[in-house]
Amino acid sequence: MASREHELSSLPQTSDPPRGRLSQLLGRLISPYLHGEPRGPVPEVLGRLIYPFVRGEAPKPQQATGFYTDTTVCIGCKACEVACKQWNQLPSDGFNWSGNSYDNTNELSATTWRHVKFIEQFSEQTSNVLAPMGTMSDESPLNRWLMMSDHCKHCLAAPCHQACPTGAIIQNEFENVYIQADICNGCSSCIAACPFGVITRSEMGGHSHKCTLCYDRQRDGLEPACAKACPTQSIHFGPVDELREHARNRVEQLHQRGVPQAYLYGDVPSETYSEMHSFYLLVDRPSVYGLPDAPFNPWLHMMGDYVRSVAGGLAAIAVLLVVVFFLKP
Amino acid sequence: MHANSSSQHASTKPPLPEQGGQIGYENTTVTKVPGWHGIIAWDALLNGMAMGLFLAAAVSELAAPAVFLGVAKVAYPVALVLLLVDLVLLVLDLGDPLRFHHMLRVFKPSSPMSLGTWCLTIFSLPLTAAAGLSVLARLGWDFERARLLAVILGLLPGFGAAAYKGVLLSTNAQPGWKDARWLGGYLTNSALLMGCAELLVLSALMRQTQAIAILRTAFIVLLVLNVIPLGLLFANLRTIHAQLYTRGQQWRAGALIAAGMLIPLWLMLLNGGLLSISVAVIFLLAQSWLVRSVYVKIPHTSPLGVRSGE
Repeated sequence: MASREHELSSLPQTSDPPRGRLSQLLGRLISPYLHGEPRGPVPEVLGRLIYPFVRGEAPKPQQATGFYTDTTVCIGCKACEVACKQWNQLPSDGFNWSGNSYDNTNELSATTWRHVKFIEQFSEQTSNVLAPMGTMSDESPLNRWLMMSDHCKHCLAAPCHQACPTGAIIQNEFENVYIQADICNGCSSCIAACPFGVITRSEMGGHSHKCTLCYDRQRDGLEPACAKACPTQSIHFGPVDELREHARNRVEQLHQRGVPQAYLYGDVPSETYSEMHSFYLLVDRPSVYGLPDAPFNPWLHMMGDYVRSVAGGLAAIAVLLVVVFFLKP
Repeated sequence: MHANSSSQHASTKPPLPEQGGQIGYENTTVTKVPGWHGIIAWDALLNGMAMGLFLAAAVSELAAPAVFLGVAKVAYPVALVLLLVDLVLLVLDLGDPLRFHHMLRVFKPSSPMSLGTWCLTIFSLPLTAAAGLSVLARLGWDFERARLLAVILGLLPGFGAAAYKGVLLSTNAQPGWKDARWLGGYLTNSALLMGCAELLVLSALMRQTQAIAILRTAFIVLLVLNVIPLGLLFANLRTIHAQLYTRGQQWRAGALIAAGMLIPLWLMLLNGGLLSISVAVIFLLAQSWLVRSVYVKIPHTSPLGVRSGE
């Protein structure tokens, strides 16, 4: 309670962003639709047609925020999953037994924006011997649990953002990747593009959904619900620069304490992928946690693909022209 | 009492894990499938047929108007019908089809789908004009210059609308698709091949002997040329196909695709009659659909090791 009061005292004043002249005019045209007044089919059709073109002014950029998830202190309590579902009013996924340890949601989806993963690394012969801290799964025998709370990586150069043809996916003022649900038309380009399998199309509305990094809470000066609920501070939220520094100190600390395998995943850009605004501290290979070992931004191939595509067409046109010119009377 | 409690236990047994339930997360496919199923294979085919027919007709007409004017005037309305059917499929494939116009909110060259949508939208205008004016010309109202202008204006967006599809289906993170560097090259080349084939059928139906002679030769050369990007595409997909299909399945698909090339080639070399042309084109279209269908299925197919009973 005290924490919440502290947060509320620093609330910024928020309101709908102001609109330009054209958008104001369009807004007046479709005001019955915007305000949900039943005025017959004409405003409804006009509203549907014009609404996506009404624009507000972009909010002023803020300090980039993100998550740093320290998997070494995660206890798999799923408080983050529950808090996420509760705050974002996401429906239940049912009571399923996956057969995969304590994991019963299996994956991130349109209704599960936080997913706690359980990795049991136990050897049958030596199941009563605990693995020493900082052992990789390749170095058997191992007897340990790994747990990790997974979510959207909020990539700096996000393939989903690049792919979205409607502009529904934006980088908001906190440099978080955000899907505008009222704009998305469910084309699924973002799903195809995401190398982490984060985004999913909802069967209810047909639109894509994923973690918003609690944009609504952030705008009101509150931290995301999952970070707030995490009892072990496995999930850290804050300005990305500060998180990186904090995470690097933690890695150093773990190295000194005999966990030389501890490393950060996604905190810096690689040759094939940008840095992520949500990064992890891991103690085994990324693939053990269900993460790609070397994520690849598909857009690195785009120009070459266009060149080959155009070349294929031009070659055919050239052949057609040559034949026509040679054989025409 | 004892019996009661044991029956209670029986009734509250937890459900069994889903079939194929996996322990851990290693060796699982990380990406999610976009749900682009058969409708996208048909879309890729119709897109190629519409753009290819327009481009083949426009290029031929502009290069040799005396030979191709008549058949081109029929080709444009046919291309328009094919495009409209394709657009319906594209809209139906959306999660929320009533929001199809949201695609026009932004122009985003970094998104192949956005570029493709704009190309299709812009292309639809000169194509409609060319088709409409071609129909009017048949009814006696000839606006030849305007029609020709519409044809010329349609060339660039039409080419863009043919070229974007392969890039859209290869610039992503899906297994197999992400390695298909030659998909765009194959699809654009194949569009022109199909366009030439359709124009050949129309010429045969209209008994345009000069057009048939030229297009038959062009069709044979294009058919052989198309083997190059197709071969490069399958080389790109060799690894994923080995993971998804048995050798037998791969041979069967390969044989069908080869038949879809060789039968039209043989028919075209043999005879230039309407029946031969029609059968050749049907085989070519079936093969083109098969290639697209096999490709679209890749991320939706589980690896052999995961599937049971195969």
